[in-house]
Amino acid sequence: MGKNANIRGPAKGAQSVSRRAFLSKGAAGAGAAALVSAGSREASAQIASAPVKWDLSADVVIIGAGVSGLAAAITARDSGASVISVEENFDIGGRGMLSGGRVHLGGGHALQQKAGIKDSADQVFKDWVRFDSAVARYSDRDLVRVFADENVATFDFLVENGVEFIEKPIGPEAASTVPRTFVTVEWQNQDEIYAPGGDRNGSGLVRRLEQSARRKGVQILLRHEMKSIVREQTFAGKIKGITVAHPGGTLAIEARKGVIIATGGHTGNVNFRRTFDPRLTEEYQQACLPYVFQGAKGELAAMELGASLWATANQTSESGAAITKTRHIGCRWGYSSLVFQPESKLFPLAKATGLTVSDWQNMIFVNQNGQRFWNEVDGSYRFFAAAMGYHGDTAKLNGGGPIWAIFDADAAAREKWDPKPPHVDPDGYFASADTIAELAPRIKNPHQTKPISGAVLQETVNRYNAFVAAGTDSDFKKPTPLYKIEKPPFYAAWATPILHDTLTGLRSNTNGEVIDIRGQVIPGLYCSGETQGGFAQHGLARCLVFGRVAGRNAAKGAA
Amino acid sequence: MTKDAAAQPITHSTTIELCEPAPAELPVGSTLVMQIRVSCPAGCDLSGLPLMVTGPGGEVTTIEPRSNQELAPQEAALRDISLKVPPQVGEHVWSIRLPAHESAGAQHAECTLPISIRAKPHATSLAVWAIPSPVVMGERFSLKVGAKSAAGYELSGRRIQVSDQSGRVLGQGHLQAAPWPGTSALYWTEVELPAPDREGMFWCAVNFAAADIETPHEGSSSKFSVAIVRPPEHKLTIEVLEKDTKVPIEDAQVRLGAYGAATDPSGRAEVALPNGSYELTVWKVGYDTPGLTVDIHDDISVQVEAVIVPPENPDAAWLM
Repeated sequence: MGKNANIRGPAKGAQSVSRRAFLSKGAAGAGAAALVSAGSREASAQIASAPVKWDLSADVVIIGAGVSGLAAAITARDSGASVISVEENFDIGGRGMLSGGRVHLGGGHALQQKAGIKDSADQVFKDWVRFDSAVARYSDRDLVRVFADENVATFDFLVENGVEFIEKPIGPEAASTVPRTFVTVEWQNQDEIYAPGGDRNGSGLVRRLEQSARRKGVQILLRHEMKSIVREQTFAGKIKGITVAHPGGTLAIEARKGVIIATGGHTGNVNFRRTFDPRLTEEYQQACLPYVFQGAKGELAAMELGASLWATANQTSESGAAITKTRHIGCRWGYSSLVFQPESKLFPLAKATGLTVSDWQNMIFVNQNGQRFWNEVDGSYRFFAAAMGYHGDTAKLNGGGPIWAIFDADAAAREKWDPKPPHVDPDGYFASADTIAELAPRIKNPHQTKPISGAVLQETVNRYNAFVAAGTDSDFKKPTPLYKIEKPPFYAAWATPILHDTLTGLRSNTNGEVIDIRGQVIPGLYCSGETQGGFAQHGLARCLVFGRVAGRNAAKGAA
Repeated sequence: MTKDAAAQPITHSTTIELCEPAPAELPVGSTLVMQIRVSCPAGCDLSGLPLMVTGPGGEVTTIEPRSNQELAPQEAALRDISLKVPPQVGEHVWSIRLPAHESAGAQHAECTLPISIRAKPHATSLAVWAIPSPVVMGERFSLKVGAKSAAGYELSGRRIQVSDQSGRVLGQGHLQAAPWPGTSALYWTEVELPAPDREGMFWCAVNFAAADIETPHEGSSSKFSVAIVRPPEHKLTIEVLEKDTKVPIEDAQVRLGAYGAATDPSGRAEVALPNGSYELTVWKVGYDTPGLTVDIHDDISVQVEAVIVPPENPDAAWLM
């Protein structure tokens, strides 16, 4: 353990960008890499039937150095394998870097015991196959059993690898009947986090795992994007390795025992996500941009080898965080718990903090036609259905178009907002004006294909104000609409629902081996984390558990 | 003797065209910047030639050639022109002319491109706010009205009126000297109005004729509503307390139909209203409160119990 002997050195010209070297430059230029790959590049899996010349070689090659990929890397190393991890981003951690660090592991581990919480693997299993919980009943129970049995070991693994926890238990949450959530301690080095000042304690999870991985001899190649997974034949034979592109060129990396796909989900890929829900057209943003793009690259590369999807009902069960309400209006990526402050290295890309909403009474929502469509206080999937409903745009039938929050000076005062940059992004996500009629044509965004009519918006506001005066919302039953939208100046802020969790992915067995559409294992191919389908529990725990499972089994070279 | 065709003077036609169509109408006084393409079918480089622009008033300006010589032919054919729309409403015509000339060994014919734009008055828009809610029938009340010129012109001193649905003027004022704080150019004033004699939703319109403004402006009108109620007969005191601890809750919004108030630090709000049956609701973020039906035929007090709802952690986006 800890020796790099089995990793053959890089060929001349191959670049391995160290994190330290990158962080000493500004993030603005390189951060664009995350966005550039967002729209234009396709994960084409060109299957080499001719022998590939390998530039690098290791026992286990892991695509993705996020939560799941790092857990897999360490576990594979611990099992004696040599490991190369490739990460397309300029830094590690994936969405975990920006998460709240809330790790939902139970089973009776040390911290639960210390807090006097009685728990067991059987209880974890029972809770997470509950038929009365929509976030549990559509899961593959074979995977849930693995999850349950691995909870304590995974918790111990984190502690052994240096992850620190805040000892206060939280919960029970979701399907759990016992408190199982503990929050990691945030990474202490402000230079090495991306969302300072926002309780983004997940940095403490991923940086510790990274530290341990490197110490143990995992080679992490940043800005290395997987281009294809190489198999003996397209639909038969073993996985041989991967090809990657990096700023200096391309590489072929041999995987002597296995390749683990830990590329983190599909939410940012419009084409892919519409497989499950055709409403999810381009206007819906992906949370965790501009740091992480979830492009379905791992899924697509595996599907080009015949891999199957699995448990897709989880993606559209309308019970989790696949679609969320924009809590921070007036910016592009206003996902609920993630705010980019001006101090963040990513602020030049994120551009605004957004205006955080405390009370949905303080605004109305209008669609791209300038009309209200639902009770603004509702945050359920009925709200999302109304927001994504067809509003009459004959040029674009799918999706609901942009949603705008309209509010006045009194609302801004009640919410204690300062509706100016850096809190808002006037370049497509925020507008202000002295009157409602003037505000309407100022509402501009690439997805706002026609300007809102001043007369229509005025009529919408007038009608709402009459409801407020009378005390009842006759159109959408907003509970006791409280505040008129009256006092100049007036504001419009982007409030389109934002997409978050990937809850379905590739089919795998209990070893994490990827299964194809005919039910056969693809020898040497593994998956974990958001790329994996079958268990839709929101958050970090499943990514950690199944990362370890994949890492352990890939190192064995079971195929 | 053979005719040498090369010695004959060749005249190339020329064209001037807009890169994008010009807008049909623009507000008076605005400046339109457009790109035009000057070319000849043989591909001669015409970038070194000046253009003459004759404006609507007959004035002629010259657009000098571009100074940058290092341009690709496509780029070299492009010119930027800037047209200032006169302050008069109506149709205005400009003419862009490339005079006839010789260049690149060939004669080039003159050509002209007319551009016609209709100048329209600046738009105005309105706002009405600080409307008392509700207003007792038959009483007089004040509200604020404001007007904004789309071009930000100063509107102080201009008259603004409020009328009822039939157009009868109910009240008027003259816009004050300074714009409403926080706005760029919303000129405003307070207007006093009589409330009608019957209860219900009263629809009015604020009207701004935009007359007597140096630069032509279009007038505008905007509807708004006022809730009119019967005179109050009794007083209702609402006390909002946290259910278990009985701690009074300040700043809870209390509503009974058209009536409302916010609770003070003692958790109390007082509302004066006429006899009748009302649905009372209370709203404060972080609390759940039951609604209740209240019958008013005397001065009464009610207590409302609010249950604390723990704030949802944004990361725990679970729904069962």
